[in-house]
Amino acid sequence: MIEIDTENAKALAGLQELFASATHDASASMCRWTDGIITVTLDEVRQIPLEEVSTELAVGDEMLTMVVMTLDGGLGGSMILMFDELNGRQLAASLLGQAVGIQPDWSELERSALMETGNILGCAYVNALTRLIGTDLRPSAPHFIQDFGVSVLQQALMTQAVVSDSLLLCEIGFHRKGERLDWRVVFVPTPELQASLQRSLHAAP
Amino acid sequence: MVGMGQIVSGGSPQQMKAIVGSCIALALHHPRLNKGVMAHIVLPDSAGRPGAPGKFADTAIPRMLELFKELGVPAHSLTAKLAGGANMFANSGPLQIGDANTRAVAQALRTAGIRIMAQDVGGTRGRRVTFDCADGEMIIESAGQPKKTL
Repeated sequence: MIEIDTENAKALAGLQELFASATHDASASMCRWTDGIITVTLDEVRQIPLEEVSTELAVGDEMLTMVVMTLDGGLGGSMILMFDELNGRQLAASLLGQAVGIQPDWSELERSALMETGNILGCAYVNALTRLIGTDLRPSAPHFIQDFGVSVLQQALMTQAVVSDSLLLCEIGFHRKGERLDWRVVFVPTPELQASLQRSLHAAP
Repeated sequence: MVGMGQIVSGGSPQQMKAIVGSCIALALHHPRLNKGVMAHIVLPDSAGRPGAPGKFADTAIPRMLELFKELGVPAHSLTAKLAGGANMFANSGPLQIGDANTRAVAQALRTAGIRIMAQDVGGTRGRRVTFDCADGEMIIESAGQPKKTL
């Protein structure tokens, strides 16, 4: 894994630029999927000490609704789309053109709407990153999970935790007609994908 | 809140909390002195890698015993309760380490001669764990499941 500290802050800035470019593509896809209502922006690419992940990300200890996609193959990573119950329900309702669900269990349609959102967003990122690094990345099918956000993040961060006490991740925010929404995506590249991204940055003219 | 790789010690009436998925929340307790130490273990084996002692099963338990010593608590009579070790992405996704974590913690406890009083491990769900130093109770909350007390 590449350590990104003050010594090579340039590398972090490079990754920020690279993910900003991928986020631009993802935002265009998201905008099409939601009839121009929702856009996506890159908040930050940053490193967080292992023990501070939950507090730094302010995930809290509440149950969240999440769509998880992983990248299979040699270069991997995970992407987690996170909502609280109300925001997830509101997104599903707006995509389905129906009232916000009130049943305790999510309907198949609501789950599908969120999974498709994750799929569209994830594939847009994967396509953009594939172009940038010149290596095929294969996204998994999206998984719908309702659980503690921290528990799911832990699993996504494991490949980095094996080699470092400092974890690199990319945070992405959502906007509706310019107004910030309480949804977010966390993208966690594996050490192998980080190395590949760094190589492509160094190779860029 | 006990974060990933952290170890926290305390006594009655303190409570300690951790949220775990594939990680393990391990609580050691001395029932007569009402002292406890909780670790949030991330990986099974340090294999010589640097890192906080609480990050790995093989280094966390010796460090927990040192903390008991600092509290003036003898190592004998300690009991263990643990929770976590889930496979959060249901056998797909990166590094499914939950089972290996559970086995490594059980082995390290055997090596240290500490008895496991109760555990709630495995599955595909995260757990919110609350450990009470006063009575050694461990409360487990998990999505879609009734609350459990170990």
